[in-house]
Amino acid sequence: MSDGRVDRTIETDVLVIGGGGGGLRAAVAAHDAGARVLVLSKGIVGKSGLTQTAVTGFQVAFGYADPRDNPEVHYGDTIRGGYGLADPELARIFCDEAIAAVEDIESFGARFDREEDGKLIQRKLDSSQTYPRSIKKGDSLGTPIMQALRREMNKREVPRMHEMLVTKLLKDGDRVCGAIALDFQKGEIVEIHAGAIIMATGGAGELFPVHSNTPDSTGDGYALALNAGADLVDIEFLLMLGHAVLHPATVRGVLFTFQYLLTKGAKPLFNSEGESFLSNYDPEGNDNPARHIYARAVYGEVREGRGSPHGGAFFDPGSVSHETLMDSLPSQTKYLEKFGVDMTRPIEVGAAAHYVCGGIKINTQSQSTVPGLFAVGECSGGPHGAGRIGGNSLTEILVFGKRAGAEAAAFANAGNTGSPSSDEVASEASRVTSYLSRERTGPRPNVIKTRLQKLMNDYVGVVRNDEGLRETITEFERIEREDLPTMSMAEDNRIGNYDWIEALEVTAMIRFARAMAGAALLRTESRGAHYREDYPELDDKNWLQNIVIHHSANQDALAFETRECTPGPEYTASLAEAG
Amino acid sequence: MEKLNITLYRFDPSCDDKPRMQGYDIESDGPLSVLQAIRHVYHKVDGTLSFRNSDCRRGVCGICSMMINGRRQLTCMCLATDGMTVEPPPNRTIVKDLVFETD
Repeated sequence: MSDGRVDRTIETDVLVIGGGGGGLRAAVAAHDAGARVLVLSKGIVGKSGLTQTAVTGFQVAFGYADPRDNPEVHYGDTIRGGYGLADPELARIFCDEAIAAVEDIESFGARFDREEDGKLIQRKLDSSQTYPRSIKKGDSLGTPIMQALRREMNKREVPRMHEMLVTKLLKDGDRVCGAIALDFQKGEIVEIHAGAIIMATGGAGELFPVHSNTPDSTGDGYALALNAGADLVDIEFLLMLGHAVLHPATVRGVLFTFQYLLTKGAKPLFNSEGESFLSNYDPEGNDNPARHIYARAVYGEVREGRGSPHGGAFFDPGSVSHETLMDSLPSQTKYLEKFGVDMTRPIEVGAAAHYVCGGIKINTQSQSTVPGLFAVGECSGGPHGAGRIGGNSLTEILVFGKRAGAEAAAFANAGNTGSPSSDEVASEASRVTSYLSRERTGPRPNVIKTRLQKLMNDYVGVVRNDEGLRETITEFERIEREDLPTMSMAEDNRIGNYDWIEALEVTAMIRFARAMAGAALLRTESRGAHYREDYPELDDKNWLQNIVIHHSANQDALAFETRECTPGPEYTASLAEAG
Repeated sequence: MEKLNITLYRFDPSCDDKPRMQGYDIESDGPLSVLQAIRHVYHKVDGTLSFRNSDCRRGVCGICSMMINGRRQLTCMCLATDGMTVEPPPNRTIVKDLVFETD
């Protein structure tokens, strides 16, 4: 069974891995630059990924709501929100190109909410925005963006393949030249030859038991890139939000962006004693602080015994009228009511993993440190640094999606396409098919995943410390050594076998989780989305540094390297202001 | 603890002559969506069941749409109830069980 045979081989110029917003924007751009493009998704291309679930607002500094706003102010907010670690060049690009990116997506037919005078409505999410800057479409912003991108994909007849899990990137010398994928529906091993590859694989929420992501957000892209020799950066910054619904379990992890209700008279978050507490946790004393502060504040209240029954805090949607709820957050309100949540009474909200601020380290061409390997969206790293401010993610996929597509097409069109070694192909095909012939003695993939999620939640989540991180890393190493080699599936069927997919995913998850925990252990300070209870202070003297991770010569070991970061005057000015 | 019996469509075109309906008993701490109930069966009761796991789980993407008690609905948006049946939509080519070919 476990042979090195490939069932099909496909050729393309640009291979896009991921069928969400970033992937589709990149695919359209690559096609328009004259490349043959193929889009693969683990799910259904155009209906997978997180973009479609975006609710309320992406940041574009038109300055309609406040004429003082402009891309320069947006840039300052982004640098401050990244606590000085964002790559200034990348942050500059996406703030400067955001307006053009919205014009692009509108030219594709997406429509956003406008004032009567025709100008886009701009709202403020929280204190990370100097001025109201988030544009919206009701509270379902992802829908018009994905509809428009799907239409452009169809118009151009860009080829796509659904339910394909990429298991390895292939290289020729130092550049990428293709990939091996498992076709879920057919149970086939597919070899793809490509001149350039764009990673648009999204995030890794599924590393945690409660998250706002889709269940297939397993961080495969990070592991694929690491294994191909690419650098990862800033991945210790895992953004946990504090505004996910925690109960009932049917809706656990889904976001309820009540922040928009605060300006309409809603009562702020409160604990089991009925007290507001957020401003106690924000160094600047905001009662609607940046999003990562919410998670930490709720955690603090729970630890002090003032939490809600399911480990959160309370928000009372009944503190505004039902009309206000339906006006501001119609689809979220309807969704929760559908599952029996009484929206006239307090609901439990709390922490959920939301976003990996770092990722595959990119340059201004959206290219990784491996020639021919590009990345866009959550899987990429650089533009956000230590924290991503709310609404910057959609802006990023549109700006860098366009760049990645054009640059990957240029790279592929420049010719000298490499070809993979047949040994490398056979060895990966054998690895993938080896699960089909294993003795059914070890744990099923989901058993290992559940263990991983518990460790991540307890030691690599909202609050971290030296001891917990060390124990977690040791346990991950044990799982890699002892559990993964015996992990087995419920059956050996090739067709539609989700255990097979999950076995490969879990292997990638452990690898990425180990990298994240390793970076979190190394960073002996607290900054942005990363909080160490044993090093609770921001330490600019020692830690204005990015942590870069790559595989050492020994393929199983990870090398962690710190690099000086020069955040620029916007960051230092914010420190002076804060005193 | 909630106890439910749900009936799911099973069909492996590579070896079955015709589809069959299989009942499952599940126990959970609280209410489940239909999608969560299917996932529960897969992970806790019967790992030979095929289903799709790349869904948005909040009523946006539409790929989890199935026939629930004979009516086409999104499995992520409906509560699982005792005695319910879940089948793929009619006139679809079945890959295996609850996985059917997409457009």
